[in-house]
Amino acid sequence: MRRLRLTALVAGALALAAAAALAAETHTITDATGRQIEVPNDPRRVFAAGPPAATLLYTLKPDAMVGWPRAPGAEDLPFLRPETRDLPALGRLTGKGDTVNLEVLLSARPDLIVDYGTVTATYRDLARRVQAQTGTPYALIDGSLPTIPATLRRLGDLLAEPERGGTLAAYAEATFAEIDAILAAVPEDRRPSVYLARGPEGIETAARGSINAEIIDRVGGRNVVGAGPDGLLTVSPEQVQAWAPEVIVTIDADFAAHVSAMPEWQGVPAVRDGQVYLAPSAPFGFIDSPPSVNRLIGLKWLAEKLYPEEARIDIEAEVTRFYTLFYGVTPDRAALDGLLGTAGHPGE
Amino acid sequence: MLALGLAGALATGAMLGPYPLSPVDVADTLIGHPPDPQAAIVLWNIRLPRVVAAALIGAALAAAGAAYQTVFRNPLVAPDILGVSQGAGFGAVLGILLGLPVLAIQLMGFAFGIGTIALVMAIALALRGMGQVLVVVLCGMAVAALAGAGISLVKLMADPDDQLPAITFWLMGSLAGIKQADVAAALPAIVAGLLPLIALRWRIGLLALGDDEARTLGVEAGRLRLLVILSATLVTAAAVSVAGVIGWVGLMVPHMARLITGPRFDRLLPVALAMGAALMVLVDAAARCIAQQEVPLGILTAVLGGPVFLWLLARGGRTWAE
Amino acid sequence: MGRVTPLVEARGLAVGHGGRALLEEVGLGLHRGRILCLLGPNGVGKTTLFRTLLGLMPPLGGAVFLGGRPLSDLSRAEIAQRLAYVPQTLTTPFAWRALDLVLMGAAARLGPFARPGAAEIARAEAALALLGIDDLGPVEITRLSGGQRQMVLIARAIAQGAEAVAMDEPTASLDFANRIRVGKAIRGLAARGIGVLLCTHDPDQAADLGDEAVLIEPGGVLAAGPAAEVMTAARMTRLYDIPVRRDSLPGGRLHFSGPSGRGDEGPVAGTSAGQNV
Repeated sequence: MRRLRLTALVAGALALAAAAALAAETHTITDATGRQIEVPNDPRRVFAAGPPAATLLYTLKPDAMVGWPRAPGAEDLPFLRPETRDLPALGRLTGKGDTVNLEVLLSARPDLIVDYGTVTATYRDLARRVQAQTGTPYALIDGSLPTIPATLRRLGDLLAEPERGGTLAAYAEATFAEIDAILAAVPEDRRPSVYLARGPEGIETAARGSINAEIIDRVGGRNVVGAGPDGLLTVSPEQVQAWAPEVIVTIDADFAAHVSAMPEWQGVPAVRDGQVYLAPSAPFGFIDSPPSVNRLIGLKWLAEKLYPEEARIDIEAEVTRFYTLFYGVTPDRAALDGLLGTAGHPGE
Repeated sequence: MLALGLAGALATGAMLGPYPLSPVDVADTLIGHPPDPQAAIVLWNIRLPRVVAAALIGAALAAAGAAYQTVFRNPLVAPDILGVSQGAGFGAVLGILLGLPVLAIQLMGFAFGIGTIALVMAIALALRGMGQVLVVVLCGMAVAALAGAGISLVKLMADPDDQLPAITFWLMGSLAGIKQADVAAALPAIVAGLLPLIALRWRIGLLALGDDEARTLGVEAGRLRLLVILSATLVTAAAVSVAGVIGWVGLMVPHMARLITGPRFDRLLPVALAMGAALMVLVDAAARCIAQQEVPLGILTAVLGGPVFLWLLARGGRTWAE
Repeated sequence: MGRVTPLVEARGLAVGHGGRALLEEVGLGLHRGRILCLLGPNGVGKTTLFRTLLGLMPPLGGAVFLGGRPLSDLSRAEIAQRLAYVPQTLTTPFAWRALDLVLMGAAARLGPFARPGAAEIARAEAALALLGIDDLGPVEITRLSGGQRQMVLIARAIAQGAEAVAMDEPTASLDFANRIRVGKAIRGLAARGIGVLLCTHDPDQAADLGDEAVLIEPGGVLAAGPAAEVMTAARMTRLYDIPVRRDSLPGGRLHFSGPSGRGDEGPVAGTSAGQNV
């Protein structure tokens, strides 16, 4: 709390000084909900409405961040720019568990609020309400995977970082092209069935087409969970047995470590054949958590796991490149081992 | 009749599930000739532990409900009345928040459930004495509200992407993640709680008369009630720690059983045990078969329990006076 | 009489709640085949005395003896084997069958894990038959009238097999005919050699049923002894703090009446509510 107040105080002084100059320089944009909003030409203090937006903002303009939705964990800190590590946890405006207090939001003195994710009437109304209450422009940006390049350019322009936006967008486009090239070489019948396992029991998962499992669809994995509700769902181990996935991707280290000894997972092809992969999660997840630009490296990682022959990706080099470019931190040998070494599975 | 019904429910539970196994496959696997090795894994490692756990938990909750209703002389109380379910729920949810392994989460649920009842009894004793049924129940409600606040706080602090769905799902009750080890862990506590209830089943019925009357009949009412409450709580906490919070069973099943047996606890208990087990096995079979996604048990029991309970209320006076 | 050990005896008994005595120096003795009535105004402490005699609360002073043994030395079951209790009304929320309720009388003689068997069922049925209500056995108590429920409770006391029975205003909520029926049942108990401790608000009933009476006024016992001798108009006037008139009805029964509800002309025989029903 004290740190928050101090930061707010310093920030407040800075903002006041800059306010007069900035106030005059605005222009009008149309956000994803079709709302006309007036935004500053050069936003210096930006509040991210949720984790996806925070990740996006971090990659594009880290010095404009006023805080994190949730404090980064100790394991995330080595992969974050030093100046962002101590930013206060302010809470989130959107998603489950709306925790931010609008007064806390205002005391951070943002000149722009950015939200990144699903565009629905609920979020449009939330944006409208928060903007009316705080007097701060609130831009909502569509958060689907295919639109990432466009989003990076758009938000780069919005944040007065067009060059950086362009660079990152080019990387995203190249990544998509690379994935498409790999998929062209892999016929449909050689694409494995995939199950996304979450939670220590591995029985939380996400359906085909849901934002949490989107990248599995994108790299051509056949998600065994048929189309279902967006978001997470819980299934029974017996259901997984019936699905018999060839590959299991998990974000839970506990599950990855124990699945081979869990009686109810015996005989599942992925477990039997050692095709259980733990996705790295620092500073941001490879699969989702949050569903943002961090998934670009996840696409390559997953493609390499699913098609080791066709993909021909040097994943360590790719991770180093991506982390340097997007996160501004170049992981050393030990950090890479820590990040990818845990990705080992029982078969390795 | 009753044994037949229970056997039928167990058989149905063993037959049904998302993994395609015909009744013949199941029968063959049971007698040691599985059609393929995977059938044996599915049946022995997943489906049967689940059926057994469902039966155990249904029986436990129904027995606890019947015991609470008798000793509190109130047909409308259930295992949640003393805050046991909420207390156990708080402990388990806290375990999920702290990222503990599954067994530790269950232990936390169990310990908090027992802790809740200890707290309720300590407060009730300090206030008025255990003889005052109303005081005990009101203390239970107050402590349950505290535990509920704790649960809300944990939900607020939980990672909304990762932990919150797990917490929410757990709070609605599920046997999706059940395994042999869970059954083995819960079994001793449930048996230890059920044994006194079964052994003392006739005498426990006398507590329904009220303390003074029971004592003049030669029953050490205070001591017996304490033993019954502790036993029923042990059983509830064990069930909740494994399966999450499953409402309605403890309230509804004793009433249904009482329609058959009347209020005599020695006749009520076995019927409630069998009906609770059968009901939970069938409800759990539905939970895993309705959709590819698990349906939380708490939702199903509420959908069943609400109307059944209203029907019982409308019949009124048949199983209880006034 | 003093040479025979009373079934229930109180010596120098002080009763009350939380250390504050309501009644002090209470002495009484209940003998085989006798009916002892407790009379006194509301709130004087009759119920507290009753609960103390039943061992439901500890005495503040003095002692209670059951069959010559101090109550404090007896276990709950031992007390129940010596002294049964018939409550004013049945308070259970469940629809017991009458026979199951009577069966409960066996609890004092059964081990903790035992259930009533054929012998206990026979006893319970005999107790119902004794009161002429054997047809009520399978009926749920929720379907019984108040008088029938009271008879079932008396049958339970019989099945309990105690030599003494304590009754707390057993006819308070009953209609005229049922009062008489229950009264007869109480006399029947005494005729079988059971000592009955009867707490009542009805002086006529006390005089009719009681062999002895104990008048209880605030603080302690006003008078005790043979009912007809103890219940004088003067004592009853003092006890209830209203003018009470005592009349002897044809046949020798006593009738007590207070001022008429219609006016203040004073106690007049034949105008009280009790007479009119």
